[in-house]
Amino acid sequence: CQPLCHRTQSQPLSAGPAAPERPEPPRLPLWQRAAVAGAVAGLAGAGWLYLRREKERRLRQRRLRDLRALALGQGDFQLQDTSGAPRSRADLLGRWVLLYFGFTHCPDVCPEELEKLCRAVELLEAVPGLPPVQPLFITVDPARDDAAALGRYLRDFHPRLQGLTGTEEQVRAAAGAFRVYVSAGPPDPDGDYVVDHSVLTFLLGPDGLVRDCYGRSRTAEELAKSVRGHMESYEPLPPG
Amino acid sequence: MAAPTREERTACWGARDEFWQCLDSHGDDAAKCEKLRRAFESRCPQQWVKHFDKRRDFLKYKKKLETEGYIPPEAAGKS
Repeated sequence: CQPLCHRTQSQPLSAGPAAPERPEPPRLPLWQRAAVAGAVAGLAGAGWLYLRREKERRLRQRRLRDLRALALGQGDFQLQDTSGAPRSRADLLGRWVLLYFGFTHCPDVCPEELEKLCRAVELLEAVPGLPPVQPLFITVDPARDDAAALGRYLRDFHPRLQGLTGTEEQVRAAAGAFRVYVSAGPPDPDGDYVVDHSVLTFLLGPDGLVRDCYGRSRTAEELAKSVRGHMESYEPLPPG
Repeated sequence: MAAPTREERTACWGARDEFWQCLDSHGDDAAKCEKLRRAFESRCPQQWVKHFDKRRDFLKYKKKLETEGYIPPEAAGKS
């Protein structure tokens, strides 16, 4: 049925200034609506990022506490560097260290891991503002790897790569502190042998704590990225 | 006995790679790759030759696992 009165286009209801045909809620222009939606999304995103960062921070703290409880690499060691000078754990404090256990007669794994380690150090050196990383090699074959042999071997890799050796007991103690498995194989008729050992690169923080460890499958780029992440988020251990 | 230098290592790895390429292209028929085998053995310390032989066996076994899946040995039954 027809409405009692209907308006036509040409006859507005009120005689005053032109009014809209039907009362409508005030509409914001499109750009303002987009801006509000954007602001809400931005706030939600910022909130999510904050929560995620907090969660990562808590995870890191817990991991640090676990690492300290594990006490990997704790305890002192007494070794000698390639110039024969005595070195102990205290000499490593205050620096970031990438540590690898190996031996100079190693067929392929140690050279590859050392290349990778040194490449990671080079990548980190190229990033401005990062503290320097000390690459370090500890032999698991002290019988053959004396200071001179180590020096010759390590020269091929990186100018700052240092090596440590010692007596059988000293080396066994140092490897044991890092839970590195070492087992010399049966010797050849000419006395050659290989040493089976865990293949791991350890990252030590300036406080001496093992912060991470890297196996065969990680690339140099992944190592550098991980070390950088540790450096940038470095926090001293929580107390207790 | 000094450890191999970097040049000696590279030469050994090169000889090993040539030998392995020969084996790959002849279906692991070692008889066809005698010359390269001798070159490999002369360039690498004996311990390394043994190590690389074992490595090749392992790589082949790994490939077999990846393509054929794991087939338990027949004697399995008691641990």
